[in-house]
Amino acid sequence: MGAVSDERAVWLARHALPAEPALRAWLARQPRFHLEVDDIVQETYAVLAGLERVDHIVNPRTYMFQVAKTVILQALRRRRVIAFETLAAADSLEIPDDQPGADVVLADRQELGRVAALIAALPAKCREAFTLRKVLGLSQKEVAARMGLSESTVEKHIGRGLRQVMNAMGRGGSGRIAASRKRGARTEPPAEDARARSRD
Amino acid sequence: MRERAAAIDATAADWAARVDRGPLSEAEQAELDAWAAADPRRAGAYARARAVSAHFDRARALGDDFVPARHPEARRRSRRRFLAGAGGLLAAGFAGAGVFALSRLNGRVATHKGDVRRVALSDGSAVTLNTDTAVRQAYGDKVRRVVLIRGEALFDVAKDAARPFDVVAGPVRVRAVGTSFTVRILPDDEVVVMVREGVVEVRRGDASPVRLAADRAVTVAASRPLAPVTLPAGGAERATAWRQGMLDLDGLTLAEAAGEYARYTDRRIRIADPAVAAMRVTGLFSMSDPDGFARAAALSLDLKVTSEPDGLRLDPRS
Repeated sequence: MGAVSDERAVWLARHALPAEPALRAWLARQPRFHLEVDDIVQETYAVLAGLERVDHIVNPRTYMFQVAKTVILQALRRRRVIAFETLAAADSLEIPDDQPGADVVLADRQELGRVAALIAALPAKCREAFTLRKVLGLSQKEVAARMGLSESTVEKHIGRGLRQVMNAMGRGGSGRIAASRKRGARTEPPAEDARARSRD
Repeated sequence: MRERAAAIDATAADWAARVDRGPLSEAEQAELDAWAAADPRRAGAYARARAVSAHFDRARALGDDFVPARHPEARRRSRRRFLAGAGGLLAAGFAGAGVFALSRLNGRVATHKGDVRRVALSDGSAVTLNTDTAVRQAYGDKVRRVVLIRGEALFDVAKDAARPFDVVAGPVRVRAVGTSFTVRILPDDEVVVMVREGVVEVRRGDASPVRLAADRAVTVAASRPLAPVTLPAGGAERATAWRQGMLDLDGLTLAEAAGEYARYTDRRIRIADPAVAAMRVTGLFSMSDPDGFARAAALSLDLKVTSEPDGLRLDPRS
């Protein structure tokens, strides 16, 4: 259960995280099921993490939506009382088309700008530890030596930082989701894109 | 009480940070396994935390001279909410049927199977045509007449006391002044009239008319006297759910529901077993998705679904 290989983590980072804002938006448009979007997203990741193999998945985004739909159906079936029409509605949920504009995957450079912005938004100590670990690529042990802190304190800073960026990339990050949506609607790009552009 | 997603995320992030520090001891791995095994949401949150951690490894590309404290985001932390709210633009609803001007269609307008179309009439009234329906407009100086040639239509009639609104369906005439009602010709030429608002007069041939008030319906057949019935609360709205692309199948048997779908699509729902055919369904369903309905019914009533070239078959589980 608690085993997630590095390869799987990278696969999820590459394929699941970019699709997550669209998945959350889609789930948020299904209020009739009275399910928590966060719960469905977490369970969806559990299924993706637990797959024996992922190399057969041609379209990870569609696959992720299908998994989420299965999770919804399972959650509904666990309820003791369920209206027939609710189950029917869940079963006939349509997975949005995977076409340009339907989902917005940030270009690499834009995504890098977002990563920079998310790190910059961390509290100072946490930001310093996170920068040394993720930008300079030091180990947590080296970060501890550099900052004059214990390793376990560095671990706590990294954990706090992860929590905040996880939040920003999902639940608390509606602004980010909205931002990528805005781009999808071909209106002006959000500020961090402009910054990413101006830097190079 | 159920553990909140945010609390799960917090613990998951701590575990991901621990793994980021170095390999877990056996005891730590066992502890993580036990924690994650207790709730699939935990296992998922942990996988997601690992993914986010892996995602931030790309920050190496920012280069050693990246100074996050000088990044504008660092100074802007407090006023980051400016982007929120744009998500509401997404709200997707059923696309309303286009409004056509009947006059441009030579007075006759029809829908194919599965289509619903709303047609604006010159006096401000409107006709919404259900699946496989044809109407013809025949407005005169004294009376606004619309002929229902086949199918079913909802009439939203603009008030005009000087010029009553007549719907002619075979031998049946329905007269209204300002109201909203549906007229449907059944395959055996019986005509069903249902009133959403106001009052209409229903007349068959030369017989004396029957007044029909809101939330009442009557089936007009050659062999029977007119016997209006009262619809249950909300019945009229549900019966016209087809305007939004939905079908009201509440209280129908599976066989009747399959028959309803046959009005809208050529996909078939086949039911051979009489006990299955008599099972009751409930709810509003998308008219364009007979397979989805059949699968949902199977799911709920524990039936076996078999795909066929032109539809689905429902059987009892053996």
